[in-house]
Amino acid sequence: MTAPLLRLENVTKAYGRRTVVQGLALDVAPGESVAVLGPSGCGKTTVLRLIAGLERPDEGKIWIDSRQVAGDGRNTVPACERQVGLVFQDLALWPHLSVRDNLAFVVASTAIAKDQRTARIDDCLGVCRIDPRLADRYPHELSGGEQQRVALARALVGTPRVLLLDEPFSNLDTALRVALRQELAALQRQLRLTTIYVTHDPADATALADRTIVMRDGRIEQE
Amino acid sequence: MGAATAGVALFCVLPLAYMIAAWFSEPGREMSSYRDLLLDSRQRGLLVNTTILGTATAFTATLVGVPLGVALARVALPFKAGLRILLAAPALLPPYVVGLSWLYLGEGSWMQGLPAAVVVLTVGLYPLSMLMTEAAVRGVEPRLEEAASLTATPGRVLWRITLPLVIPSVLAAALVTFVLAVSDFGVPALLRVRVFTTEIFTAFAALYDFGRATALALPLLVLALLFALISVRLTGDRLVATRRGLAGGELETFDGWRPAAAGAMACVVLFALVLPVAVLTRQARHVSSWIGVMTGSGDAIRNSLTLAGVGATVVCALAFWLGYARVRGTRLTGLAADVLFIVLFAVPGTIVGVALIGLWNRAGVAGTIYATNGMFVLVYLARFTPLAALAVAASLRRVPSSQEEAAAVSGASWFRTMVHIVFPQVRLGLFAVWVIVFTLAFGEIGASVLVTPPGESTLPIRIYTLIANAPPGEVATLALLQIAVIFGPLALLGFGLSVGRRS
Repeated sequence: MTAPLLRLENVTKAYGRRTVVQGLALDVAPGESVAVLGPSGCGKTTVLRLIAGLERPDEGKIWIDSRQVAGDGRNTVPACERQVGLVFQDLALWPHLSVRDNLAFVVASTAIAKDQRTARIDDCLGVCRIDPRLADRYPHELSGGEQQRVALARALVGTPRVLLLDEPFSNLDTALRVALRQELAALQRQLRLTTIYVTHDPADATALADRTIVMRDGRIEQE
Repeated sequence: MGAATAGVALFCVLPLAYMIAAWFSEPGREMSSYRDLLLDSRQRGLLVNTTILGTATAFTATLVGVPLGVALARVALPFKAGLRILLAAPALLPPYVVGLSWLYLGEGSWMQGLPAAVVVLTVGLYPLSMLMTEAAVRGVEPRLEEAASLTATPGRVLWRITLPLVIPSVLAAALVTFVLAVSDFGVPALLRVRVFTTEIFTAFAALYDFGRATALALPLLVLALLFALISVRLTGDRLVATRRGLAGGELETFDGWRPAAAGAMACVVLFALVLPVAVLTRQARHVSSWIGVMTGSGDAIRNSLTLAGVGATVVCALAFWLGYARVRGTRLTGLAADVLFIVLFAVPGTIVGVALIGLWNRAGVAGTIYATNGMFVLVYLARFTPLAALAVAASLRRVPSSQEEAAAVSGASWFRTMVHIVFPQVRLGLFAVWVIVFTLAFGEIGASVLVTPPGESTLPIRIYTLIANAPPGEVATLALLQIAVIFGPLALLGFGLSVGRRS
């Protein structure tokens, strides 16, 4: 059996007295796509934030590519060294940077050689089907769908080992949502991405995931 | 509302307008003489000193304040609320009291001149930069920094994402610091730095040359106008906008900076707060009887407490209606009001003093008022109403106009709506403004020292005059009393805020 690329072991996280993730265990194989389904407030987003290193688990351990990144109540590997891409629910595009600069910021933090960075950005814009004429525009000058693509491109341009998506289509109308979902599914197949996709929409989960887990009150209810 | 507008026109605008009009209409006044006055070598020296004082203070206060503001907004630290109060406290100490402690520390030798004035004013003004930066960073959506932290180090996240997003606020804070530094009279006077404010004081108090004092005031008035326009351009409507809740809280990204942040904060508190108080306490130990010193200055202390209390109350009453008019007016009138309030706030105390004397020192009712302590209240009205109006407007902005409309369609009169709907929601904010105005009024010296009626005094004036004539221990004791009085209402405010948050 293939070793999991991502492993969460008995992970617990509480904010004050409220436990949002309770004893969570999850293995994700390389290239696998997992959807995390559940109602609002069940702890789905916290799981992504724990994997990304944006939160500290109170208990439990997290491994990425056989390297322990969190354990004993602390992050042993900081977020910037985990090689994780994350598409936030509100996209979090940097408003003072153009589309190209949003991607360039990420590329500059990777090991990609300087002379190959522009090509890498152009490649990524192409893969995410972003019109090259938009590259010099700022986020507020883009439509919702274009912003969505840029957020995805930014998450992919650093060639992450794991791609995390936090309800990225939740603010889009139905038609655009379906179109982008199909594009993302095709992209996953093309790039063999290891993906965790948080959603409350079963249709998203069915379209994008090899496997679906259902969370409720911080625990996995169904797998 | 009309009465409030008339109030600001009478108490704040009219004295300045009268001063300028009187200067221009003076017989034989020629622009060439004014040009000669401003361009002679002595005045060029003033201009250089004033510019260096303002620029260097703004630079150092920003250098200290911005990292502290970022740390308060983003780094998880224990007892943060208490740390914030301690770090902000030096802003409420009268700058000349801090200057006095530094003077004693240097035994009157090396702690004088321009560099010393920059250090002392930085101590008093860095909290502005710190608090404005913290508010701005908290307004930045944390996801933006988190998204960056997935690939970049915390330093790079701060440099490329956080700081560019808050740079308008940082610049606005630097601008405020610059104007407050060039407007200050107490510190340059104490540390023997010749700047415009001290020269205006000398021209008026020593030579009684109204024309020369006005001529020297004009560059600072132009500066105040420029400052107001740039501030409004930089901050726009945010000047009276509400602070966004906890949108930008602490981030795991900056967790590694905890020890450095805590260490830096401890150093700043020691340097800016503990050291001045300790130096004054050491000096005060030489006094045989603290009670005796305070009894000797009893009238000045009583005057200060009463006048600051009355002044803060009157200013808040006027500011409430001005703030209300500002918030419920159109965007254009709002911005115009902001510019006016900022210009008036930026006018140095010595200029306000000269302007008030020009307007009120005459026969009749004005002259009767001029001979009383009422002049101090007029000083507080002229100097602090604009700032209070901006602060009250920020509080009132939190009450949506739809709430008043809902009360109106429910049949409530406008007065009943104000009493039962609006006022209860802003009373804590109003109390905070009262405490701030009381603190500022209690420490006011630049204008008060000029308008003081014969035989009257306030605590700051008493301290200022005793510096040259009394043992340092006596002066230090009074300075400590001043600090204690300032922190009394602040403790009350802290209590009020904690109760307000719980309820």
